[in-house]
Amino acid sequence: MSRCRQIRNDLVAFLSDELEERRAERVRTHLKACPLCRRELDLHREILRRAETSNPELDQILASVDWEAQAEKIVREVWRDRPLPGLSRRGMGRSFFLRQWKPALAGGLLGMALGALATLFLFRESPKTTAKAGEFFASAEFLDRADFEIARREALAYLEKSQDLLIELAQPAREAGESRLSEAAARQARELLSRKKFLNPQLEGIRMAKAKDICDQIELLFYELFELSDGLTDDRRQEIQNFIEQKSLLLKIKLLRKELQESET
Amino acid sequence: MNSPGRGENGDLEDLIRLAGRGDREAFKTIVSLHQQQVFLLAYSLLRNRDDAMDIVQETFLRLYQKLGEYQMGKSFCGWLLQIAKNLSIDFYRRHYSRDREARTDGSLEELARARSKEDAGMTPSSDVSRAISRSLEKLGERQRMVFIMKHYNGFDYREIAEVLAVRPGTVKSLHFKAVRNLRRLLGPQLGMET
Repeated sequence: MSRCRQIRNDLVAFLSDELEERRAERVRTHLKACPLCRRELDLHREILRRAETSNPELDQILASVDWEAQAEKIVREVWRDRPLPGLSRRGMGRSFFLRQWKPALAGGLLGMALGALATLFLFRESPKTTAKAGEFFASAEFLDRADFEIARREALAYLEKSQDLLIELAQPAREAGESRLSEAAARQARELLSRKKFLNPQLEGIRMAKAKDICDQIELLFYELFELSDGLTDDRRQEIQNFIEQKSLLLKIKLLRKELQESET
Repeated sequence: MNSPGRGENGDLEDLIRLAGRGDREAFKTIVSLHQQQVFLLAYSLLRNRDDAMDIVQETFLRLYQKLGEYQMGKSFCGWLLQIAKNLSIDFYRRHYSRDREARTDGSLEELARARSKEDAGMTPSSDVSRAISRSLEKLGERQRMVFIMKHYNGFDYREIAEVLAVRPGTVKSLHFKAVRNLRRLLGPQLGMET
């Protein structure tokens, strides 16, 4: 009988297919040999059949509700009072600190900290570079580049005019008595000497050292010309031409001009 | 009964994700699919249509607030009905009188006697189905919930165990007791030996 009691405790689960196979097989085996337990099984089955198929009260209640309208009503109420989509206020707070966000959060905080430190360091190191309201601010690098560009352009203009004059001087005298320097050439030599004085401060930088050397040689020559402009003999002209040729002044000017043109910033 | 069935697949999880992002239609679909199950559970506990409808609404409001906490892959229906069950029990404790609570927790004989007094002025019904409904109401709270979830919601023992937060073995035992007690209550009317 104790065997029957154990089996009967399993009968409802057996009828509901909730019994594991080993125990279900034991129940089946027992039922074949036990008419009392078979009768018990039939009674349980009948109760379950009636209960499952006949519950008009519940069916009536369920049928009395317009479930589509009810769903719409529920959603309308939820949407009216909803805090944030899908998250309670408490859940929202927690979700921000979900495990998968922790590396990004840590990275973000570290970045902010480093950025703050870098900003502090930069402002401490170069307080003078901060422009006050209404003042023009330019970096030292920008000013250097601007100075070089001005010097470069001025040197190019000087060299171009000097080259023209030197080419004229380098030409052999075509007629006797033409040894005197023309008025235009003399005026140009004076202008170039004046220009050289203006140019000198701009040639002080190390990047303009080569240009300064050549311009100085040209200046020296123009001084000679200026002094001799009233009595430039053929011999003197020849000396100047030799100087130009010896110093390869025209070649240097040509190369320097090319170099300066290519170094345009 | 209109039940979405027990299978919870990727479609439902997609709906949950969409609803979590504020998709109204997705949330409405979830409500449409599960509101009757929630109603049945609430009704099985409260035995009052309007109260059960209130629980349905409150359950889905809570669901929306907790959607972000749902763990994909777990039984959504079990989780939802757990919310409904807790709300129903809270509602019961707040709104129902002490004596009714005592009756619910009392023996089946006491419940039967109390119900007989309530039914004294009513027209006797020979309808077996009505007798079954009455008998279900006389079951203990957990037995009734297990029976409703098993036979009207179509849940298996594992899912019921999730909702009730008990072991499947406990569900099996409660189910057995529910059927045995129904048989005792209904036996005479059905012409059965008890």
